[in-house]
Amino acid sequence: MGFRPDRNDILNRYGCLSNAAIRVDPAADVRMDSLMIRLLALLVMAALAPLSAADLPAGETPPGKVVLVPQPHHDDHSTDYGMAGLIARLVDEGFRAIYIRASNDEKDGRHGYPRNDMINERETEEAIAVLGMEKVISLNWRNNFESGYALNDLREQLIFLIRKYKPDVILGHNGWEHYQKNAGHRNVGWMLEEAILLAGLRNAHPEHFEMGVEPHAASYFYGKARLTWGLGHRPNIVMEFNADQQRRKETAFQLHRNVRAHPSGARSVRRQLARMNLYVPEFENLDDQEIAVLMANWSMEHISRLHGSHAGVEFGEEYYFKGEFYDLPGLQGYFEENMETR
Amino acid sequence: MTRRILAFVSLIFLAAVAPLAAQIGETNNTVVVITSDASNYVLHAGGTVAKMVEDGMEGILIRIGNDEKDSWDLSPEETALRTKQESEAAAKILGISKVISLGFRSSDFRDVPFTTMRDRLAYYIRVHKPRVLFIPNPHTQYDRNHDRYYGGRAAEDAWRAAAFKNYLPAMKDVNLGAHVTPEVYYFAPLVDPARREPESTGTFVPQPKMTDISGTLEKKIKAAQALKTINHSLAMRLKQRLDSTDRRLPLLDSVDEASINKLVEQRVRGLARLSAEGTDFQAAEEFRYAGVEYRIPASYR
Repeated sequence: MGFRPDRNDILNRYGCLSNAAIRVDPAADVRMDSLMIRLLALLVMAALAPLSAADLPAGETPPGKVVLVPQPHHDDHSTDYGMAGLIARLVDEGFRAIYIRASNDEKDGRHGYPRNDMINERETEEAIAVLGMEKVISLNWRNNFESGYALNDLREQLIFLIRKYKPDVILGHNGWEHYQKNAGHRNVGWMLEEAILLAGLRNAHPEHFEMGVEPHAASYFYGKARLTWGLGHRPNIVMEFNADQQRRKETAFQLHRNVRAHPSGARSVRRQLARMNLYVPEFENLDDQEIAVLMANWSMEHISRLHGSHAGVEFGEEYYFKGEFYDLPGLQGYFEENMETR
Repeated sequence: MTRRILAFVSLIFLAAVAPLAAQIGETNNTVVVITSDASNYVLHAGGTVAKMVEDGMEGILIRIGNDEKDSWDLSPEETALRTKQESEAAAKILGISKVISLGFRSSDFRDVPFTTMRDRLAYYIRVHKPRVLFIPNPHTQYDRNHDRYYGGRAAEDAWRAAAFKNYLPAMKDVNLGAHVTPEVYYFAPLVDPARREPESTGTFVPQPKMTDISGTLEKKIKAAQALKTINHSLAMRLKQRLDSTDRRLPLLDSVDEASINKLVEQRVRGLARLSAEGTDFQAAEEFRYAGVEYRIPASYR
């Protein structure tokens, strides 16, 4: 007897569908009323809710003019666990935003090494433009060959770029995440942490100063990571964004067509729904590509609403936030009492 | 029947730890402090080390890194030299009688082979046969100075390796046999939000431990102030940051020795207050502690 997915499988696998009204095909004898569907959707939401911390504060926009987003891969600016909503918000509030893609992404996609690299780079440029980012800098380290080169060389490049672009805010992967199997995330997150510290020290790579840059200390860090992967990443803040920024996040996510929103996913969902005599009215008159995009958008909306709800806002993303003087905990109280605005 | 099984398991366990336990009697009344960088142990363990020395222990400091990066306007060489001298001065204030500087290049520990660093440390553990060891906690999170992770990892394994005869076997010929250090304090900056959460019971993992440093706080402040190069760097970077964002700390309007010392005093007192939260102490330091419970559960002692 072959495996046949039931309704729970469908809803668990495609949390995005809880945004849609799944209907019973009237020609079928299987009944699934709307109350049952809503109940199942609630169950999915309830199951996901404990995976993130509840009752988090909603963060203010940090002061500054430049945000740097160093990430391992082409598509890490817009994920179900963060970045794009906050990037769009910062851009709308006047920040200059620059994306750093550490790897060449040759593994990600269906086209083989060099073509994947080229397609993924092009799609990155299109996607970050939607968010209002200025440009992408590709470091082109070989994708998932991180142990094959000296990580201090990657760190040095990040130090240089921090000195060159002088970011006030850095959005990166939280290097302290547990159970991260993708070495790119772990290594870039880890190197970024050190680079932020060392970029401010004159004796770290003094050769950079021959190129006209100066030491620079970025002040605010937002780290993203999977909320479902152990205790290493426990967010301490939610960053809210508006409906327009949410729409741009959805677009930036699904524009990475080499790896996302593929028509085959839509075909698979429709096939599984049909086996249970279910259908989604919103899918009618759409082709598989359009359905795949629609589902990707629902997925991103669903997760932004879920994370936003942890701070009582409509759309949000959860981060581990390090403030301006996080590394000086002994002086926090003194600063609060004695620091003045000129 | 259950009691018999328990007794049997206890015997097996004791037989297993007996060769280790036998070594514990050979310890010197010495505390060895291993630090990746000059300031970390002073700020996060200095008060406790000073108290142990006041109580009669001999203190030995091992500096893994050369601290060449952290200065405001000095070359790496000058920075390393000055910080070495200032580390020796700070250690002296805490009562530490000997400072060993290994000279690994700071911020580049990742590129040092793990066993190279570990074996250097294991050697010194065997030479000094400490009763107490202080090491950077490699399991702490959110510390951007990763030398503390790599140095702490090497130190933690050196603690273990020093206790087994088959590590560094050549040293047997010069009478440097295995040594078990019975107590280890893991220290770390207070930036890990989970730093006070026990990860398991004391039998399996080092436990959170707070120590009272009220009696040695002034000594700790003076030791921290002795690290003049690092402190000047911190004060200048802080002032630059405040100036660039139209803010000021009146204390740093003029950055001189007096203002820097005051800033350092505030920092050390603030750390002591933070660590004292939730305790009856006025001033404290916090650690992960591996003592006798970590080696032999109370039910077996």
